[in-house]
Amino acid sequence: MSTSYQPGDVEPITGKYVHAEVEGVDHRIYFEEAGPEDGTPLLCQHTAGNNCQEWRHLLTDEDITDEFRVIAHDLPYHGKSVPPTTQEWWTEDYTMTAKKFTETLVAIADALDLEDPIYMGSSMGGNITLELADWYPDRFRALIGLECGAHSPGFYIDWLDHPQVNTTEVNAYACWGLMAPQSPEQFRRETMYLYEQGATGVFKGDLYYYSVDHDYRDKLDQVNADECPLYIVNGEYDYLTTPEDGRQTAEGVGDGAVAIEMAEIGHFPMSEHPELFNAYVREILDVITGERDEALPDVITPDDVGIEYHPPGPAREKPAE
Amino acid sequence: MATETEFASHEWWESFKETVNDDPEMQVRGHDKFDENFYVEIGDERVLIEMHGGQISEIVPNPTMNHRWSFGVEGDREAWEEFVQETPPAFNHEIIASHYRSAVRNEDGHLQLTGDNKKIFQNLRAFQRTLDLMRVTHNDGGT
Repeated sequence: MSTSYQPGDVEPITGKYVHAEVEGVDHRIYFEEAGPEDGTPLLCQHTAGNNCQEWRHLLTDEDITDEFRVIAHDLPYHGKSVPPTTQEWWTEDYTMTAKKFTETLVAIADALDLEDPIYMGSSMGGNITLELADWYPDRFRALIGLECGAHSPGFYIDWLDHPQVNTTEVNAYACWGLMAPQSPEQFRRETMYLYEQGATGVFKGDLYYYSVDHDYRDKLDQVNADECPLYIVNGEYDYLTTPEDGRQTAEGVGDGAVAIEMAEIGHFPMSEHPELFNAYVREILDVITGERDEALPDVITPDDVGIEYHPPGPAREKPAE
Repeated sequence: MATETEFASHEWWESFKETVNDDPEMQVRGHDKFDENFYVEIGDERVLIEMHGGQISEIVPNPTMNHRWSFGVEGDREAWEEFVQETPPAFNHEIIASHYRSAVRNEDGHLQLTGDNKKIFQNLRAFQRTLDLMRVTHNDGGT
């Protein structure tokens, strides 16, 4: 993983805007990309209330970008994708639904003219792989649902958008425990810093989809993973959608669905421990592209991918006596 | 390496108070405004943590009606002993994680928040940091 940049180095990521129509409204969508133009497209979705910066370490990993055209977008109202100029969006609460989410993802893939892209997303971006496989199995080559479950209740919380609460900080630190203590503190803190950049009400609005609108417990037999392979990949420390939730979801979907537990990582794998996650996801991408014949393990560990154990947190020097 | 001081003994709580009051993060970005008292209940033993300006002013064992608090955390001793491990196991590694498994998933063996939720969220990061410093205390600085 490329993390040792020197002064004067320019990262290979480029950022642009593309226009996409969602529910009849034009949206100006910001996206970043890296990798060859003719590489296999890998469309990366950020978590609820966050933005494409969560993927910056995948976008600079040459082991990945040598082969894949990695694209990470900001959903409307997130990051640099400002609200549409034709709408009086300030007169209503921002609310995400499964219908709007899937239409947005397909609209972005269409607007960028992506041929057989692999889709990958975490948290709300992981859950939506079930709807994508159900409603749009022809549009994607494969789906990687990180921190994916059939149902993830209990996180549509009023305090996350309340005038008497510092929601900038609370939206971030409500997520602190979703990360593994083994993940390097600098990266866990950066993940929270990215959370603090979300617009008021957007995190809670995304969680309407995540904790209310998304409920596939009785609909898993509708998911077309036999048409579009589905990888359900959940971190050991994800308390919202546990690896066991992932296994049950894959079992309910049946043919084409594979569950994998990622050891020693949590709900924000790509940003909380990028070195470990990038090594994990490389194994999955190799299966999708046919470079790896061997079946993936039920539990993938740092040892499996040659990553050394990191010091646990919270680490703090005790003051000198 | 874990400290030899017994978890939640008088000496342990004194060390915790010192750790919190020396913590630079408790003093930045408004956390010196953290003034809400809270209790920690370990099995049948309740200890009141009185906060003033982001520091612990008093640690009171067995608080009575003469005391006041805004919220608390309850759990059995085993759950707390997991919470303060140097590398805690999944779901007892942070307070919101543990509370979610108790309150939403109805699982046993985790910590649970009680009291005024508004005040919990108004002070979330500083309260969370204070609890995380129990782990630093228990592991002799966490390094």
